[in-house]
Amino acid sequence: METINDTLHIERTAPQSRSYSEPFWNGTKDKKLLVQYDTEVGKYQWYPRATSRFTGKHSKLEWREVKGEGEVYSFTIVRRARPPFRDHEPFFLAVVELPEGVQIMGNTVGITKEEMKIGLKVKPYWHPLPDGFHMLMWQKA
Amino acid sequence: MAMRDTAIVAYAETKIVTRSDKDVWALGAEVLEELLNKTGMEKGEIDGLILSSSQTGAGNCFWAQATSDQLALEVDFCNIVDLGGCSPAAALARACIAIEAGLCETVFCLYADTQARENNTRPRHYQGEWTVPLGLLGPPTSFGFITNRYEHQFGLDYSMLGKLAVAQRNGAVLNDLACEKLRAPITVDDYLNSRMIADPIRLLDSVMVCDGASGLIVTSKKNAARKGFTKAITPIGYGEKTSYEFSENIVDVTNTGHMPAGHKALAQAGLKASDIKSFHPYDDFIIAMMLQFEMIGFCKKGQGCDFIREHDFNFNGDLPLNTGGGQISAGQAGLAGGGTNLIEAVRQLMGEGGARQVKDTSNAMVTGIGGIPYARNWNTSVVMVLTPNG
Repeated sequence: METINDTLHIERTAPQSRSYSEPFWNGTKDKKLLVQYDTEVGKYQWYPRATSRFTGKHSKLEWREVKGEGEVYSFTIVRRARPPFRDHEPFFLAVVELPEGVQIMGNTVGITKEEMKIGLKVKPYWHPLPDGFHMLMWQKA
Repeated sequence: MAMRDTAIVAYAETKIVTRSDKDVWALGAEVLEELLNKTGMEKGEIDGLILSSSQTGAGNCFWAQATSDQLALEVDFCNIVDLGGCSPAAALARACIAIEAGLCETVFCLYADTQARENNTRPRHYQGEWTVPLGLLGPPTSFGFITNRYEHQFGLDYSMLGKLAVAQRNGAVLNDLACEKLRAPITVDDYLNSRMIADPIRLLDSVMVCDGASGLIVTSKKNAARKGFTKAITPIGYGEKTSYEFSENIVDVTNTGHMPAGHKALAQAGLKASDIKSFHPYDDFIIAMMLQFEMIGFCKKGQGCDFIREHDFNFNGDLPLNTGGGQISAGQAGLAGGGTNLIEAVRQLMGEGGARQVKDTSNAMVTGIGGIPYARNWNTSVVMVLTPNG
C-alpha cells in the first residue's frame, strides 16, 4: 500500500498577502476560515480578490466566517515538487467544494490513497505556521 | 472577415533543443534571415513586428521595443502578445488586423523563447499566495485535477490518450526540427507505463521544457499578389476567449473557452468541425487535445475517447493531428511553443510537409491554450482556421 505524505513536516511560512487578502490570513491566527461575501448578489467567492467576480464592484464585499465542511471536487497526487516540498512527495492536493459555493485547494492530513475519492467529506485542519498564522489543510469529516 | 485580406507568405523555424547554446536574439536573427531569404524581401519591407510571450524576455517590460532595436527593424507597428501559449496564433490574428487597418503592410511575427537557457519570469498572479504554499508544481497538478474530474464524470480510457501520444511521436520521428531526445517511436504501453507526475498525469502526457524560435511573414493580399507569391495562407476564422466563466465560482472544469472560440472561428470560416482537414491543437498535455475535440465540436462532450478510437491521427490518416510531433513530442519552446503547431499547419498547407505531407491541404485548424488559473482548466483559448489562397 502506497503511503501519501501529509506535508506537516515541511517548513513553510504564511505567504505575502495583498492589501485585500490580509483579513483571510489574520483570520487563520484564530483558526477562522474567512471568505469574501458579496452582499449585493448574496454570494461568496474564493480566492480573495480585489473586487467581486460577480459584479465588478469592490465596495459590496465583506468577510464572513464559514465552517469549511465540504467535499472533494477533484484531487491529484503530487509526485514532483519544488523545495521545500521536494523529497516530501507524494502528497495530495485537493480541490474542496463548500456548500457556500466556493472551491478551495489544500493539502490533506491523514487521508490514505484508498480513502481519497471525489465526493469525500472533509473539514479544515489548521496547521500552525510561524508568526501565529495557520495553513488551511483538509482532513476527513 | 477582415483577416481574409491578408496572407502568410513564409514561415521559418529553428530546431527545438533542450537547452539553446545561443541567445534568444540570435535565434530571432536566424528566423529573420530565413524569412528574408525565403521571401526575397529586403529588411526595410517589414513594417510591423509582433512578438509572442517569452520567458527569456519576461524580465523586460520593453520586450517588443528592445527586440526591434536588436534586430534593427524600423516598424510602424510594434507589439507583444502576452496570452501564454495562445500568443503565437493571437499574434498572427493581430498582425492581420493591423494590416487590414492600414497601420502597416508586412508584419514579422516572431516567437522566440529560451526558457531553459535563460528564464526571467517573475510572475505576479494568484499562485504565490494561494498555490505555491501548497507545493503545487504548476500545470501538471492542474491537469491532474482536470483529468480526475473528467474520469469521474464521463469515464476515461487512458489507452486512447496513449493513441494520441503515439500518433504525435510518429510525427516527431519524421520531423528533423523536433528535439532529438524525443525522436524515438513509442507505443501505447510506453505511454501507459510512463511514470506518474501528478496522478493521473504521466510523463508522456506532458511537454518537455525546451528552447526554440519560429516566425511568419504576413502581408496584405494585394502586396502578396504584387510580389508574386504563389503560396499564401490566410486565416479565415478566429476565436479568442480569456477568463471563460470566471464570473462564477463553481463551473464544470471539462468545459473550456474553446467552445465559444471554436464556434466563432468555424462560423467565420463557414465550416463545421467535420470539415477540418488537419488539426493542430495546442498540446501541453494529451488530455487537452481530447477536450478540444469535444469543445470545438469534432464530437460530443464526454465522447472524446470514442472519437479517438474511431479516427487515425497520423499524417496519412483521416484526421492528421500535430503532424510534426506537437509540443509534446517536438519539445515545448517555452511560451513560443504555440508557434510549433501553427508553423506546422502553415507548412502543411503550403505542401511542404515532405515525408509527413498530409493529402488534403484545403484547410487546417490551429489552437492555443494559455495560462493556468486557480482550480480551473486554462485562462485563454484560441481557435484559428487557415486556408491556402482563401
